[in-house]
Amino acid sequence: MTFLSKAASIAAVGFSLIGAPVLAEGFPDRPLEFVAGYGPGGGHDTMLRTMARLMEQEDIVDVPINVVNKEGGSSAVAMGYLNARKGSPYHLMSITSSHIATPLTSNIGLNYADFTPIARIGIDPELLVVNASKGFESLEDLKAEGRMLNVGGTATGSIEHIVTMQLAEKTGMELNFIPFQGDGEVVTALLSNQIDFAITNPGPVSDYLSSDKFKALAISTEERVDSLPDVPTFVEQGADIKISLFRGLTAAPGISDEERDELIAMVTKLFETEAWQKEYIEPNAVVPLVVTGQDFADYLGETEAVYRETLGELGMINN
Amino acid sequence: MDAINNLLMGFGEILTPFNIAIIFAAGLIGTVVGALPGLGPSAGIALMLPLTFGMPEASGLCLLTGVYMGTMYGGRITSILINAPGDAPAIITALEGYPMMQQGRGAMALGISAFSSFIGGLFGLLVLIFLAPVIASYAIYLGPPEYFLLMATGLATVMLLAGDQIAKAFLVTCLGVLVSTFGSDYVSGQIRFAFVPELIEGIDFVAIIIGLYGLGEVFYNLEKRVKLNLGKPGFRMKEFIPGKEELSEAAAPTLRGSILGTLIGIVPGAGATVATFLDYALEKRLSKKPETFGTGNIAGLAGPEATNNAAVPGSLIPLITLGIPGSGGTAIMLGALIMFGLRPGPLLMTTSGDIVWAMIAGLVLANVFLLASNVLLIPVFVNLLRAVQGNLANVVIALCVVGAFSLAYSPFNIWIMLIFGVLGYLMKKNDYPTGPFILAVVLAPLAENYFRQSVMLGQGSARIFLDRPISLTILIVMALILALSVFGQIRGKRRARQAAQAGE
Repeated sequence: MTFLSKAASIAAVGFSLIGAPVLAEGFPDRPLEFVAGYGPGGGHDTMLRTMARLMEQEDIVDVPINVVNKEGGSSAVAMGYLNARKGSPYHLMSITSSHIATPLTSNIGLNYADFTPIARIGIDPELLVVNASKGFESLEDLKAEGRMLNVGGTATGSIEHIVTMQLAEKTGMELNFIPFQGDGEVVTALLSNQIDFAITNPGPVSDYLSSDKFKALAISTEERVDSLPDVPTFVEQGADIKISLFRGLTAAPGISDEERDELIAMVTKLFETEAWQKEYIEPNAVVPLVVTGQDFADYLGETEAVYRETLGELGMINN
Repeated sequence: MDAINNLLMGFGEILTPFNIAIIFAAGLIGTVVGALPGLGPSAGIALMLPLTFGMPEASGLCLLTGVYMGTMYGGRITSILINAPGDAPAIITALEGYPMMQQGRGAMALGISAFSSFIGGLFGLLVLIFLAPVIASYAIYLGPPEYFLLMATGLATVMLLAGDQIAKAFLVTCLGVLVSTFGSDYVSGQIRFAFVPELIEGIDFVAIIIGLYGLGEVFYNLEKRVKLNLGKPGFRMKEFIPGKEELSEAAAPTLRGSILGTLIGIVPGAGATVATFLDYALEKRLSKKPETFGTGNIAGLAGPEATNNAAVPGSLIPLITLGIPGSGGTAIMLGALIMFGLRPGPLLMTTSGDIVWAMIAGLVLANVFLLASNVLLIPVFVNLLRAVQGNLANVVIALCVVGAFSLAYSPFNIWIMLIFGVLGYLMKKNDYPTGPFILAVVLAPLAENYFRQSVMLGQGSARIFLDRPISLTILIVMALILALSVFGQIRGKRRARQAAQAGE
């Protein structure tokens, strides 16, 4: 960073402390880039694109925002991409549980602590979804098939994978998990009955659920959610599975505390708008539990401990 | 008839001065973006995305699809003029177009490819208009086993790109497979050969293409002091408007390319690049003079150009009917739909039909504009090249460096490009074919992933390739083609022997 822009950002923080605008003037002074670790149409991508649109619509930023998809490697590719942008406050990456799991299950040499955690947006439940044409009505029906079932999800070591393995463990079903590249591919595979069921977030399948092409048989929350009142929980059906995905944002390594605080202020302002609630939180059945900065980093630390244990039990820890 | 009514309604929506201006500008912008090495459809659409904020949905989508279509026209320009493919689907164009350029028929190559691009685009659009929902509901039945077989077929075309250099082609194919394995593997999440963190993402194959073709060509020409045969300065129409002879030579390949491009465009996950490789192989197979491929064959130029343009409307079919993107470009289009507050998915045509039909009408218009502007601009491109010819090497190097940098906005890809530029130079100097190398880089990772997904779907058994009817059909067709060509060769040899005996 040049002396001038550093001076400008210090001055900007000063102004914001005096009280005028909530956001420091002058930041962001360059186009922002939002990085999605999964393919277009999936949960990461949809969230970032909605964020980008609403931030412009609600005048939270006046620079362009580009969303880039760096899919692959269970988000390892995107982590590599963001890591290569050390010190840049202009990149924000959407993260979910794979941000914790992938470093444990593979050899990428990076983990959550290498980046700058910004905020947790909320909790996103997992659904067990079948193709309606198969006539399955409950977990019992799936169990009654009595054969090894093919399960589609987005990545090895992902929360979908963990839910699948827990389901196998707790119900005695034989399950074969297949990692697809992005939610779009999972939806295609389920539409054409290449897999028996999918574990997925509500977002990518909501259109298919409302048109009765798919049917959700279980949800991974502790209690039923308001947006899907007819979907029973796993717990109700005798399988004690209560894992949900978190959705959050992290920034590149090595940015200053001032820059981090500016990013936090920027996204917090968005989360407080009505448009965000209406256009992202509600349609995606996300439970909006926001934590930011150090609190979010602590949460990530706790989550990692849980994952280390679960994945260790499942024999998936690789380093 | 519904389709026609809907389309007319769409035209009613877009035939305003503002929208017409937008569509015209989109085509031009797309052409320029496509022509710049390194910037392809994905980059073009992504760059235009911010401009669409605040526009009415239909205008915004017309801008994006117009740019998408324009890049397919643009990619061929730099392929033909300086042998640096503007984007991946234009790699094949360089194989036939650049030799034509070297023979002083560059303007004609641009003319023919503009016409076949137009026909390809038009054909794809007709399928999109009349058959979209029907086709899309079948395309989803293709899964990993079918994709794998498709990719394997693509890889088999290495033999056709190899010419007489079978051993050398095999060697560079292996090298291509090796290069493609760099970076993280999404089936297992494991990372291969990441000596530096940037390599976790793998090597961007567009940087490889720019280096191999653009920079490699410059190095080679520096040594040879090649001067392009640009002919006399002139703007005569007959230099670039194809005559009866050229048109009849290009007609059948263009039609075949249109059909193939549309079909492969529809299949999510295959894309325009794969389609052009397959079409080139098909044309070479059908040609009466296969030995002229690589020296400026019109069929080998027209077919793949029709293919990559037909793939654009083709890839829009699963996007608008199912919400499934089949290529990098449509992936960003999907994001745009979401940004406009539309819900891509099976209900899109029902809930937002007016906008979708306006977008389709806009594409029809864009295709017409693009033909007109691309034909009329040929003299500009050729004379521009003539003007800079003395400094062509500098211009190409500058374009290549900028293109490589813009891939990830980092200097890392410039180094990658430089390495592959040297490799491209060495390959050309020692007569190693580059086609098989790039084919392996593009297709090997796809084939690998689809194969592993297939076997996982088959729960560990490769029988899945035989159990699925479509996959079985593809296998049988592949076996038949193999049997026929082996039989044909044996018969050919026997005939040659008989002819030799008769002559004794």
